[in-house]
Amino acid sequence: MENRLGLPNLGLGLGLRSQHFEHILEKNPAVDWFEVISENFMDSYGLPRYILHQIAEKYPVVMHGVSLSIGSTDPLNFDYLKSLKQLAAEVKPAWISDHLCWTGVLTTNSHDLLPLPLNEESLKHVCNRIRQVQDYLERPLIVENPSTYASFNNSTLPEWEFLRIMTEETGCGLLLDVNNVYVSSFNNDFDPVAYINGIPHDKVVQMHLAGHQNCGNYIIDTHDREVNNQVWKLFQQAYQLVNQVSVLLEWDGNIPAFDVYHSELLKSKQYMDAAFVGVEKEVFSIDKEQVSNPLNLFAVDKFL
Amino acid sequence: MQKTVKIPLKEFQQWMQQLLLDPYQQTGIKPSDLLSNATNAASIEDVICHSEKLTAQEHLAIYQRSYIARLRNCMSQQFSALEYALGEAIFCAFADDYLASKPSTNYNLSFLGDQFTDYLENNRPDANEDVKEDWIDFMIELARFEYAIGVLFEEKAEENYQLAAIDTSEDQLKLVPVFTLFKFRFPVRKYYHEFKNGKNPVLPFGKESYCVVLRHKFKLSIYDLHKEQYDFLCLLKESKNMIETKEWFKIHYKDNTVQFEQVWSSWKERWLDSHFFRV
Repeated sequence: MENRLGLPNLGLGLGLRSQHFEHILEKNPAVDWFEVISENFMDSYGLPRYILHQIAEKYPVVMHGVSLSIGSTDPLNFDYLKSLKQLAAEVKPAWISDHLCWTGVLTTNSHDLLPLPLNEESLKHVCNRIRQVQDYLERPLIVENPSTYASFNNSTLPEWEFLRIMTEETGCGLLLDVNNVYVSSFNNDFDPVAYINGIPHDKVVQMHLAGHQNCGNYIIDTHDREVNNQVWKLFQQAYQLVNQVSVLLEWDGNIPAFDVYHSELLKSKQYMDAAFVGVEKEVFSIDKEQVSNPLNLFAVDKFL
Repeated sequence: MQKTVKIPLKEFQQWMQQLLLDPYQQTGIKPSDLLSNATNAASIEDVICHSEKLTAQEHLAIYQRSYIARLRNCMSQQFSALEYALGEAIFCAFADDYLASKPSTNYNLSFLGDQFTDYLENNRPDANEDVKEDWIDFMIELARFEYAIGVLFEEKAEENYQLAAIDTSEDQLKLVPVFTLFKFRFPVRKYYHEFKNGKNPVLPFGKESYCVVLRHKFKLSIYDLHKEQYDFLCLLKESKNMIETKEWFKIHYKDNTVQFEQVWSSWKERWLDSHFFRV
Protein backbone atom coordinates (compact mmCIF):
# COMPACT_ATOMS: atom_id res chain seq x y z
CA MET A 1 0.00 0.00 0.00
CA GLU A 2 1.38 3.40 -0.96
CA ASN A 3 1.65 5.75 1.96
CA ARG A 4 3.38 9.00 2.87
CA LEU A 5 5.79 10.45 0.32
CA GLY A 6 4.96 7.54 -1.96
CA LEU A 7 6.55 5.15 0.54
CA PRO A 8 4.77 1.94 1.51
CA ASN A 9 3.47 0.82 4.89
CA LEU A 10 5.78 -2.12 5.48
CA GLY A 11 3.94 -3.39 8.56
CA LEU A 12 5.75 -4.55 11.70
CA GLY A 13 9.53 -4.74 11.57
CA LEU A 14 12.53 -5.63 13.69
CA GLY A 15 16.08 -4.35 13.82
CA LEU A 16 18.51 -6.72 12.13
CA ARG A 17 21.09 -7.84 14.70
CA SER A 18 24.03 -10.17 14.07
CA GLN A 19 22.92 -12.42 16.93
CA HIS A 20 19.87 -13.34 14.84
CA PHE A 21 21.48 -13.84 11.41
CA GLU A 22 21.48 -17.61 11.62
CA HIS A 23 17.90 -17.81 12.88
CA ILE A 24 16.58 -15.54 10.15
CA LEU A 25 18.38 -17.34 7.35
CA GLU A 26 17.37 -20.78 8.56
CA LYS A 27 13.82 -20.19 9.81
CA ASN A 28 12.59 -17.35 7.59
CA PRO A 29 10.52 -15.91 10.47
CA ALA A 30 7.24 -14.15 9.68
CA VAL A 31 8.52 -10.62 10.19
CA ASP A 32 7.25 -8.01 7.75
CA TRP A 33 10.56 -6.17 7.33
CA PHE A 34 13.97 -5.44 8.86
CA GLU A 35 15.72 -2.20 9.69
CA VAL A 36 19.51 -2.23 9.46
CA ILE A 37 21.91 0.21 11.09
CA SER A 38 23.62 1.55 7.97
CA GLU A 39 27.02 2.03 9.60
CA ASN A 40 27.20 -1.63 10.61
CA PHE A 41 27.37 -2.60 6.94
CA MET A 42 28.60 0.40 4.95
CA ASP A 43 32.30 -0.33 5.24
CA SER A 44 32.08 -4.02 5.98
CA TYR A 45 32.87 -6.31 3.09
CA GLY A 46 32.91 -9.53 5.06
CA LEU A 47 30.22 -11.85 6.31
CA PRO A 48 27.77 -9.23 7.63
CA ARG A 49 27.31 -7.56 4.24
CA TYR A 50 27.06 -10.94 2.52
CA ILE A 51 24.30 -11.96 4.95
CA LEU A 52 22.55 -8.62 4.53
CA HIS A 53 22.35 -9.24 0.79
CA GLN A 54 20.69 -12.60 1.43
CA ILE A 55 18.20 -11.12 3.89
CA ALA A 56 17.41 -8.21 1.58
CA GLU A 57 16.43 -10.71 -1.10
CA LYS A 58 13.83 -12.20 1.23
CA TYR A 59 12.53 -9.22 3.21
CA PRO A 60 11.95 -5.51 2.67
CA VAL A 61 14.78 -3.57 4.31
CA VAL A 62 15.11 -0.02 5.57
CA MET A 63 18.48 1.64 6.24
CA HIS A 64 18.70 3.59 9.49
CA GLY A 65 21.80 5.68 10.14
CA VAL A 66 23.41 7.22 13.20
CA SER A 67 26.28 9.19 11.65
CA LEU A 68 24.86 11.53 9.02
CA SER A 69 25.19 14.37 11.53
CA ILE A 70 22.65 16.50 9.73
CA GLY A 71 22.89 19.24 12.34
CA SER A 72 26.67 19.57 12.46
CA THR A 73 28.36 22.77 11.35
CA ASP A 74 31.15 20.71 9.80
CA PRO A 75 30.75 20.21 6.05
CA LEU A 76 28.62 17.23 5.03
CA ASN A 77 30.76 14.11 4.80
CA PHE A 78 30.44 13.05 1.18
CA ASP A 79 32.64 9.99 1.74
CA TYR A 80 30.00 8.87 4.19
CA LEU A 81 27.19 9.68 1.77
CA LYS A 82 28.95 7.87 -1.06
CA SER A 83 29.30 4.73 1.02
CA LEU A 84 25.67 5.06 2.17
CA LYS A 85 24.45 5.44 -1.40
CA GLN A 86 26.53 2.46 -2.52
CA LEU A 87 25.01 0.24 0.17
CA ALA A 88 21.54 1.50 -0.76
CA ALA A 89 22.18 0.60 -4.40
CA GLU A 90 22.96 -2.96 -3.30
CA VAL A 91 20.27 -3.45 -0.66
CA LYS A 92 17.50 -1.35 -2.24
CA PRO A 93 16.01 -0.12 1.02
CA ALA A 94 12.45 1.16 1.09
CA TRP A 95 13.89 4.36 2.60
CA ILE A 96 16.90 5.79 4.39
CA SER A 97 16.59 7.46 7.77
CA ASP A 98 18.79 9.23 10.31
CA HIS A 99 18.40 11.52 13.30
CA LEU A 100 17.83 15.21 13.92
CA CYS A 101 21.12 15.67 15.72
CA TRP A 102 24.82 16.34 15.32
CA THR A 103 27.58 13.85 16.17
CA GLY A 104 30.64 16.09 16.25
CA VAL A 105 32.53 19.05 14.83
CA LEU A 106 36.11 19.90 13.83
CA THR A 107 36.26 16.38 12.30
CA THR A 108 35.80 14.71 15.70
CA ASN A 109 33.05 12.14 16.05
CA SER A 110 31.49 11.70 19.48
CA HIS A 111 29.43 8.71 18.30
CA ASP A 112 26.50 10.18 20.18
CA LEU A 113 23.29 11.73 18.87
CA LEU A 114 23.79 15.21 20.28
CA PRO A 115 20.90 17.65 20.61
CA LEU A 116 20.57 20.90 18.71
CA PRO A 117 19.31 24.20 20.03
CA LEU A 118 16.03 24.58 18.17
CA ASN A 119 15.84 28.06 16.64
CA GLU A 120 15.79 29.87 13.32
CA GLU A 121 19.50 29.43 12.70
CA SER A 122 19.57 25.69 13.34
CA LEU A 123 16.35 25.19 11.37
CA LYS A 124 17.76 26.94 8.32
CA HIS A 125 21.04 25.05 8.68
CA VAL A 126 19.36 21.65 8.98
CA CYS A 127 16.96 22.33 6.10
CA ASN A 128 19.83 23.32 3.80
CA ARG A 129 21.69 20.14 4.60
CA ILE A 130 18.63 17.89 4.24
CA ARG A 131 18.12 19.33 0.75
CA GLN A 132 21.75 18.57 -0.15
CA VAL A 133 21.50 15.02 1.20
CA GLN A 134 18.23 14.38 -0.62
CA ASP A 135 19.72 15.70 -3.87
CA TYR A 136 22.74 13.44 -3.47
CA LEU A 137 20.81 10.33 -2.44
CA GLU A 138 18.05 11.06 -4.97
CA ARG A 139 15.37 10.16 -2.46
CA PRO A 140 13.60 11.80 0.49
CA LEU A 141 15.41 11.56 3.79
CA ILE A 142 13.39 10.28 6.74
CA VAL A 143 14.38 12.15 9.90
CA GLU A 144 13.93 10.79 13.42
CA ASN A 145 13.34 12.77 16.60
CA PRO A 146 16.21 11.88 18.96
CA SER A 147 16.13 11.18 22.67
CA THR A 148 17.49 14.24 24.42
CA TYR A 149 18.96 14.73 27.87
CA ALA A 150 19.26 18.52 27.73
CA SER A 151 17.52 21.52 26.26
CA PHE A 152 19.00 24.95 25.60
CA ASN A 153 18.30 28.51 26.60
CA ASN A 154 18.75 29.70 23.03
CA SER A 155 16.01 27.39 21.72
CA THR A 156 12.99 29.30 20.47
CA LEU A 157 10.94 26.53 18.87
CA PRO A 158 9.40 23.43 20.41
CA GLU A 159 10.72 20.31 18.72
CA TRP A 160 7.37 19.40 17.13
CA GLU A 161 7.19 22.85 15.54
CA PHE A 162 10.78 22.53 14.31
CA LEU A 163 9.90 19.17 12.73
CA ARG A 164 6.74 20.60 11.12
CA ILE A 165 8.61 23.45 9.43
CA MET A 166 11.52 21.17 8.52
CA THR A 167 9.26 18.73 6.68
CA GLU A 168 7.39 21.57 4.92
CA GLU A 169 10.60 23.26 3.81
CA THR A 170 12.44 20.16 2.60
CA GLY A 171 9.86 17.52 1.74
CA CYS A 172 11.58 15.06 4.06
CA GLY A 173 9.61 12.47 6.02
CA LEU A 174 9.50 11.76 9.73
CA LEU A 175 10.43 8.74 11.74
CA LEU A 176 8.45 9.24 14.94
CA ASP A 177 10.20 7.49 17.81
CA VAL A 178 7.56 7.37 20.51
CA ASN A 179 10.00 6.17 23.13
CA ASN A 180 12.26 9.12 22.32
CA VAL A 181 9.34 11.51 22.76
CA TYR A 182 8.65 9.98 26.16
CA VAL A 183 12.33 10.03 27.21
CA SER A 184 12.86 13.62 26.08
CA SER A 185 9.62 14.81 27.69
CA PHE A 186 10.60 13.26 31.02
CA ASN A 187 14.11 14.71 30.87
CA ASN A 188 13.12 18.16 29.65
CA ASP A 189 9.73 18.77 31.28
CA PHE A 190 7.38 18.93 28.33
CA ASP A 191 4.08 17.21 27.68
CA PRO A 192 4.58 14.19 25.40
CA VAL A 193 0.96 14.28 24.29
CA ALA A 194 1.33 17.91 23.17
CA TYR A 195 4.37 16.76 21.16
CA ILE A 196 2.46 13.91 19.56
CA ASN A 197 -0.44 16.23 18.75
CA GLY A 198 1.89 18.89 17.36
CA ILE A 199 3.90 16.95 14.81
CA PRO A 200 2.78 16.85 11.16
CA HIS A 201 1.03 13.46 11.17
CA ASP A 202 0.87 13.22 7.41
CA LYS A 203 4.68 13.31 7.18
CA VAL A 204 5.26 10.31 9.47
CA VAL A 205 6.54 7.40 7.43
CA GLN A 206 7.69 5.14 10.24
CA MET A 207 7.42 4.76 14.02
CA HIS A 208 9.99 3.43 16.46
CA LEU A 209 9.39 1.69 19.76
CA ALA A 210 12.08 0.77 22.27
CA GLY A 211 12.76 0.11 25.93
CA HIS A 212 14.43 2.63 28.20
CA GLN A 213 16.04 2.82 31.62
CA ASN A 214 14.45 4.98 34.27
CA CYS A 215 17.25 6.25 36.51
CA GLY A 216 14.91 8.14 38.86
CA ASN A 217 15.57 11.75 37.97
CA TYR A 218 16.14 11.06 34.31
CA ILE A 219 15.62 8.40 31.66
CA ILE A 220 18.22 6.88 29.35
CA ASP A 221 17.16 5.59 25.95
CA THR A 222 18.94 2.25 26.28
CA HIS A 223 17.10 0.01 23.77
CA ASP A 224 17.96 -2.89 26.04
CA ARG A 225 14.63 -4.07 27.43
CA GLU A 226 10.91 -4.37 26.83
CA VAL A 227 8.82 -1.33 25.98
CA ASN A 228 7.60 0.60 29.01
CA ASN A 229 3.82 0.73 29.55
CA GLN A 230 3.79 4.52 29.41
CA VAL A 231 5.43 4.33 26.00
CA TRP A 232 2.88 1.78 24.82
CA LYS A 233 0.13 4.21 25.88
CA LEU A 234 1.80 7.04 24.00
CA PHE A 235 2.20 4.78 20.99
CA GLN A 236 -1.50 3.97 21.16
CA GLN A 237 -2.38 7.67 21.04
CA ALA A 238 0.16 8.46 18.34
CA TYR A 239 -0.90 5.58 16.13
CA GLN A 240 -4.47 6.84 16.03
CA LEU A 241 -3.17 10.15 14.70
CA VAL A 242 -0.60 8.96 12.17
CA ASN A 243 -2.46 5.79 11.16
CA GLN A 244 -1.17 3.04 8.90
CA VAL A 245 2.57 3.52 9.10
CA SER A 246 5.43 1.07 9.42
CA VAL A 247 6.31 0.23 13.01
CA LEU A 248 9.65 -1.01 14.25
CA LEU A 249 10.89 -2.20 17.64
CA GLU A 250 14.53 -1.36 18.39
CA TRP A 251 16.59 -3.59 20.69
CA ASP A 252 20.34 -2.94 20.79
CA GLY A 253 21.58 -4.08 24.20
CA ASN A 254 20.95 -7.30 26.14
CA ILE A 255 19.56 -8.60 22.88
CA PRO A 256 17.18 -11.48 23.59
CA ALA A 257 16.42 -14.59 21.55
CA PHE A 258 14.70 -13.78 18.29
CA ASP A 259 11.31 -15.11 19.40
CA VAL A 260 11.33 -12.93 22.53
CA TYR A 261 12.18 -9.89 20.42
CA HIS A 262 9.49 -10.74 17.90
CA SER A 263 6.76 -11.30 20.48
CA GLU A 264 7.50 -7.89 22.03
CA LEU A 265 6.98 -6.35 18.59
CA LEU A 266 3.69 -8.17 18.12
CA LYS A 267 2.29 -6.48 21.25
CA SER A 268 2.05 -3.36 19.12
CA LYS A 269 -0.92 -4.90 17.27
CA GLN A 270 -3.00 -4.61 20.45
CA TYR A 271 -2.01 -1.01 21.01
CA MET A 272 -2.97 -0.05 17.47
CA ASP A 273 -6.54 -0.48 18.72
CA ALA A 274 -7.65 2.71 20.48
CA ALA A 275 -9.96 0.73 22.76
CA PHE A 276 -7.29 -1.66 24.09
CA VAL A 277 -6.61 -1.27 27.82
CA GLY A 278 -3.04 -2.24 28.58
CA VAL A 279 -1.32 -2.83 31.88
CA GLU A 280 -1.70 0.23 34.08
CA LYS A 281 0.86 -0.40 36.78
CA GLU A 282 4.50 -0.83 36.18
CA VAL A 283 7.27 -2.05 38.40
CA PHE A 284 10.72 -0.78 37.60
CA SER A 285 13.97 -1.03 39.41
CA ILE A 286 16.85 1.39 39.35
CA ASP A 287 20.06 -0.29 38.29
CA LYS A 288 23.44 0.89 37.10
CA GLU A 289 23.18 3.53 34.38
CA GLN A 290 23.45 1.90 30.97
CA VAL A 291 24.58 3.43 27.73
CA SER A 292 22.72 3.23 24.46
CA ASN A 293 24.70 1.93 21.54
CA PRO A 294 22.98 1.22 18.26
CA LEU A 295 26.21 0.11 16.67
CA ASN A 296 26.54 -3.62 16.62
CA LEU A 297 30.19 -4.63 16.58
CA PHE A 298 30.24 -8.13 15.27
CA ALA A 299 31.60 -10.81 17.53
CA VAL A 300 34.34 -11.80 15.12
CA ASP A 301 35.36 -14.78 17.23
CA LYS A 302 31.97 -16.32 16.49
CA PHE A 303 33.14 -16.64 12.91
CA LEU A 304 36.65 -17.89 13.67
CA MET B 1 13.45 39.76 33.22
CA GLN B 2 14.92 36.68 31.53
CA LYS B 3 18.02 37.34 29.46
CA THR B 4 17.91 36.54 25.73
CA VAL B 5 20.63 34.02 24.98
CA LYS B 6 22.15 33.94 21.51
CA ILE B 7 24.92 31.56 20.50
CA PRO B 8 26.07 30.96 16.93
CA LEU B 9 25.47 27.27 16.19
CA LYS B 10 29.12 26.67 15.33
CA GLU B 11 30.29 28.08 18.65
CA PHE B 12 27.65 26.17 20.56
CA GLN B 13 28.77 22.87 19.02
CA GLN B 14 32.46 23.48 19.67
CA TRP B 15 31.63 24.45 23.25
CA MET B 16 29.52 21.37 23.92
CA GLN B 17 31.98 19.03 22.26
CA GLN B 18 34.81 20.44 24.33
CA LEU B 19 32.84 19.72 27.49
CA LEU B 20 32.20 16.13 26.37
CA LEU B 21 35.78 15.36 25.35
CA ASP B 22 37.46 17.14 28.22
CA PRO B 23 35.00 17.17 31.13
CA TYR B 24 37.72 17.89 33.72
CA GLN B 25 39.31 20.61 31.56
CA GLN B 26 42.71 18.94 31.45
CA THR B 27 43.63 20.33 28.04
CA GLY B 28 43.81 23.91 29.24
CA ILE B 29 41.02 24.97 26.89
CA LYS B 30 38.35 26.96 28.71
CA PRO B 31 34.96 26.12 27.20
CA SER B 32 33.68 29.64 27.91
CA ASP B 33 36.44 30.99 25.62
CA LEU B 34 34.68 29.17 22.77
CA LEU B 35 31.59 31.35 23.21
CA SER B 36 33.22 34.64 22.22
CA ASN B 37 30.41 35.69 19.88
CA ALA B 38 27.57 34.58 22.13
CA THR B 39 25.20 36.93 23.88
CA ASN B 40 24.48 36.32 27.56
CA ALA B 41 26.14 32.90 27.48
CA ALA B 42 29.34 32.12 29.34
CA SER B 43 28.52 29.39 31.84
CA ILE B 44 26.91 25.97 31.50
CA GLU B 45 23.81 27.34 33.25
CA ASP B 46 23.58 30.12 30.65
CA VAL B 47 23.48 27.61 27.80
CA ILE B 48 21.74 24.53 29.16
CA CYS B 49 18.32 24.69 30.81
CA HIS B 50 17.82 23.18 34.22
CA SER B 51 14.73 21.02 34.65
CA GLU B 52 12.46 20.23 37.58
CA LYS B 53 14.69 17.31 38.54
CA LEU B 54 18.18 18.16 37.30
CA THR B 55 20.54 21.12 37.21
CA ALA B 56 22.10 22.23 33.94
CA GLN B 57 25.35 20.56 35.02
CA GLU B 58 23.52 17.30 35.69
CA HIS B 59 21.91 17.39 32.25
CA LEU B 60 25.31 17.88 30.64
CA ALA B 61 26.82 15.14 32.80
CA ILE B 62 24.51 12.55 31.21
CA TYR B 63 26.15 13.26 27.85
CA GLN B 64 29.63 13.38 29.40
CA ARG B 65 29.20 9.97 31.01
CA SER B 66 27.66 8.35 27.96
CA TYR B 67 30.40 9.67 25.64
CA ILE B 68 33.21 7.94 27.47
CA ALA B 69 31.15 4.87 28.46
CA ARG B 70 30.17 4.15 24.85
CA LEU B 71 33.72 4.45 23.54
CA ARG B 72 35.22 2.47 26.43
CA ASN B 73 32.68 -0.23 25.71
CA CYS B 74 33.68 -0.27 22.07
CA MET B 75 37.41 -0.44 22.89
CA SER B 76 36.68 -3.27 25.28
CA GLN B 77 34.91 -5.20 22.51
CA GLN B 78 37.68 -4.55 20.00
CA PHE B 79 40.45 -5.52 22.44
CA SER B 80 38.78 -8.07 24.69
CA ALA B 81 41.85 -10.31 25.04
CA LEU B 82 44.03 -7.31 25.79
CA GLU B 83 41.53 -6.12 28.40
CA TYR B 84 41.71 -9.54 30.04
CA ALA B 85 45.51 -9.51 29.91
CA LEU B 86 45.86 -6.02 31.37
CA GLY B 87 42.94 -6.25 33.78
CA GLU B 88 39.90 -4.01 33.47
CA ALA B 89 41.24 -1.05 35.47
CA ILE B 90 44.57 -0.74 33.64
CA PHE B 91 42.94 -1.33 30.25
CA CYS B 92 40.39 1.36 31.04
CA ALA B 93 43.13 3.82 32.01
CA PHE B 94 44.99 3.18 28.73
CA ALA B 95 41.75 3.36 26.71
CA ASP B 96 40.68 6.63 28.35
CA ASP B 97 44.05 8.21 27.74
CA TYR B 98 44.08 6.98 24.14
CA LEU B 99 40.58 8.35 23.52
CA ALA B 100 41.59 11.68 25.04
CA SER B 101 44.71 11.94 22.90
CA LYS B 102 43.14 10.53 19.72
CA PRO B 103 39.43 11.37 19.65
CA SER B 104 37.54 9.45 16.99
CA THR B 105 37.36 11.08 13.60
CA ASN B 106 35.68 8.27 11.69
CA TYR B 107 31.94 7.68 11.56
CA ASN B 108 32.64 3.96 11.70
CA LEU B 109 33.31 2.71 15.24
CA SER B 110 35.22 -0.24 13.81
CA PHE B 111 38.13 2.15 13.32
CA LEU B 112 38.10 3.41 16.89
CA GLY B 113 41.11 1.31 17.87
CA ASP B 114 43.00 1.98 14.67
CA GLN B 115 45.87 3.79 16.38
CA PHE B 116 45.73 2.06 19.75
CA THR B 117 48.78 -0.12 19.13
CA ASP B 118 50.85 2.89 18.11
CA TYR B 119 49.56 4.70 21.17
CA LEU B 120 50.66 1.81 23.42
CA GLU B 121 54.09 1.76 21.82
CA ASN B 122 54.52 5.50 22.22
CA ASN B 123 53.24 5.58 25.78
CA ARG B 124 54.73 2.44 27.26
CA PRO B 125 55.18 2.77 31.03
CA ASP B 126 58.90 1.87 30.78
CA ALA B 127 59.65 4.45 28.09
CA ASN B 128 62.32 6.12 30.23
CA GLU B 129 63.87 2.90 31.53
CA ASP B 130 67.03 1.40 30.06
CA VAL B 131 65.76 -2.14 30.47
CA LYS B 132 62.38 -2.70 28.82
CA GLU B 133 59.78 -4.95 30.36
CA ASP B 134 58.65 -8.00 28.41
CA TRP B 135 55.00 -7.85 29.39
CA ILE B 136 54.59 -4.52 27.65
CA ASP B 137 55.92 -5.95 24.40
CA PHE B 138 53.46 -8.80 24.74
CA MET B 139 50.55 -6.40 25.24
CA ILE B 140 51.53 -4.43 22.14
CA GLU B 141 51.74 -7.60 20.04
CA LEU B 142 48.39 -8.82 21.37
CA ALA B 143 46.71 -5.47 20.62
CA ARG B 144 48.08 -5.45 17.08
CA PHE B 145 46.86 -9.01 16.48
CA GLU B 146 43.39 -8.42 17.90
CA TYR B 147 42.81 -5.32 15.81
CA ALA B 148 44.13 -7.06 12.69
CA ILE B 149 41.63 -9.89 13.14
CA GLY B 150 38.78 -7.37 12.98
CA VAL B 151 40.23 -5.71 9.88
CA LEU B 152 40.65 -9.04 8.07
CA PHE B 153 37.07 -10.01 8.93
CA GLU B 154 35.73 -6.86 7.24
CA GLU B 155 38.22 -6.62 4.37
CA LYS B 156 37.01 -6.21 0.82
CA ALA B 157 38.25 -9.18 -1.17
CA GLU B 158 37.29 -11.54 -3.96
CA GLU B 159 35.22 -14.40 -2.59
CA ASN B 160 34.11 -16.34 -5.68
CA TYR B 161 37.36 -18.14 -6.39
CA GLN B 162 38.06 -21.82 -6.86
CA LEU B 163 40.10 -23.57 -4.22
CA ALA B 164 43.10 -25.57 -5.40
CA ALA B 165 42.96 -29.35 -5.12
CA ILE B 166 45.64 -31.99 -4.66
CA ASP B 167 45.87 -32.51 -8.42
CA THR B 168 46.22 -28.78 -9.19
CA SER B 169 49.48 -28.10 -10.94
CA GLU B 170 51.92 -26.41 -8.54
CA ASP B 171 52.51 -23.50 -10.88
CA GLN B 172 48.78 -22.73 -10.55
CA LEU B 173 48.77 -22.47 -6.76
CA LYS B 174 48.04 -19.00 -5.41
CA LEU B 175 47.33 -17.84 -1.87
CA VAL B 176 43.68 -17.05 -1.11
CA PRO B 177 42.92 -13.28 -1.18
CA VAL B 178 42.70 -12.71 2.58
CA PHE B 179 45.91 -14.26 3.88
CA THR B 180 48.04 -12.43 6.45
CA LEU B 181 51.15 -13.77 8.14
CA PHE B 182 52.14 -12.85 11.68
CA LYS B 183 55.45 -13.16 13.49
CA PHE B 184 55.50 -12.60 17.25
CA ARG B 185 58.09 -12.48 20.02
CA PHE B 186 55.49 -14.14 22.28
CA PRO B 187 52.97 -16.98 21.82
CA VAL B 188 50.26 -14.45 21.02
CA ARG B 189 48.07 -16.72 18.90
CA LYS B 190 47.96 -19.38 21.65
CA TYR B 191 47.08 -16.81 24.30
CA TYR B 192 44.36 -15.29 22.11
CA HIS B 193 42.91 -18.71 21.28
CA GLU B 194 42.78 -19.77 24.93
CA PHE B 195 41.11 -16.54 25.96
CA LYS B 196 38.51 -16.76 23.20
CA ASN B 197 37.75 -20.32 24.25
CA GLY B 198 36.89 -19.33 27.78
CA LYS B 199 40.16 -20.33 29.40
CA ASN B 200 42.19 -18.08 31.67
CA PRO B 201 45.64 -17.92 30.09
CA VAL B 202 48.52 -16.56 32.15
CA LEU B 203 50.99 -14.03 30.81
CA PRO B 204 53.39 -16.01 28.63
CA PHE B 205 57.17 -15.94 28.58
CA GLY B 206 58.89 -14.78 25.43
CA LYS B 207 58.96 -17.39 22.69
CA GLU B 208 58.98 -16.59 18.99
CA SER B 209 55.80 -17.74 17.27
CA TYR B 210 54.25 -17.57 13.83
CA CYS B 211 50.75 -17.89 12.43
CA VAL B 212 48.59 -17.11 9.45
CA VAL B 213 45.07 -15.68 9.43
CA LEU B 214 43.10 -16.47 6.30
CA ARG B 215 39.50 -16.04 5.20
CA HIS B 216 37.50 -18.44 3.09
CA LYS B 217 33.78 -18.05 2.43
CA PHE B 218 33.84 -15.13 4.88
CA LYS B 219 35.05 -17.32 7.75
CA LEU B 220 38.41 -16.55 9.37
CA SER B 221 40.82 -19.34 10.29
CA ILE B 222 44.07 -19.10 12.21
CA TYR B 223 46.88 -21.64 11.83
CA ASP B 224 50.15 -21.95 13.70
CA LEU B 225 53.26 -22.09 11.55
CA HIS B 226 56.88 -23.07 12.06
CA LYS B 227 59.55 -20.53 11.24
CA GLU B 228 60.40 -22.31 7.97
CA GLN B 229 56.76 -22.39 6.95
CA TYR B 230 56.38 -18.70 7.80
CA ASP B 231 59.47 -17.81 5.73
CA PHE B 232 58.25 -19.93 2.83
CA LEU B 233 54.80 -18.35 2.83
CA CYS B 234 56.28 -14.85 3.14
CA LEU B 235 58.32 -15.53 0.03
CA LEU B 236 55.30 -16.90 -1.78
CA LYS B 237 53.13 -13.94 -0.77
CA GLU B 238 55.76 -11.57 -2.08
CA SER B 239 56.61 -13.40 -5.31
CA LYS B 240 53.12 -14.75 -6.04
CA ASN B 241 54.86 -17.61 -7.87
CA MET B 242 55.08 -21.07 -6.36
CA ILE B 243 57.83 -22.41 -8.61
CA GLU B 244 60.08 -19.39 -7.96
CA THR B 245 59.32 -19.55 -4.26
CA LYS B 246 60.30 -23.18 -4.04
CA GLU B 247 63.56 -22.49 -5.89
CA TRP B 248 64.42 -19.48 -3.71
CA PHE B 249 63.53 -21.41 -0.63
CA LYS B 250 65.80 -24.30 -1.61
CA ILE B 251 68.66 -21.84 -2.08
CA HIS B 252 67.91 -20.09 1.20
CA TYR B 253 67.67 -23.39 3.03
CA LYS B 254 70.32 -25.12 0.96
CA ASP B 255 71.49 -27.22 3.89
CA ASN B 256 67.99 -28.61 4.16
CA THR B 257 67.22 -29.26 0.50
CA VAL B 258 66.67 -32.93 1.03
CA GLN B 259 64.46 -32.37 4.04
CA PHE B 260 62.49 -29.68 2.24
CA GLU B 261 61.59 -31.99 -0.63
CA GLN B 262 60.51 -34.53 1.93
CA VAL B 263 58.33 -32.16 3.96
CA TRP B 264 56.93 -30.14 1.07
CA SER B 265 54.36 -32.76 0.15
CA SER B 266 53.04 -32.87 3.72
CA TRP B 267 52.95 -29.05 3.93
CA LYS B 268 51.14 -28.89 0.64
CA GLU B 269 48.59 -31.52 1.62
CA ARG B 270 47.85 -29.84 4.95
CA TRP B 271 47.70 -26.37 3.45
CA LEU B 272 45.35 -27.48 0.68
CA ASP B 273 43.05 -28.97 3.33
CA SER B 274 43.21 -25.70 5.23
CA HIS B 275 42.24 -23.61 2.18
CA PHE B 276 45.57 -21.78 1.81
CA PHE B 277 45.51 -22.05 -1.97
CA ARG B 278 43.28 -21.06 -4.82
CA VAL B 279 43.83 -21.49 -8.55
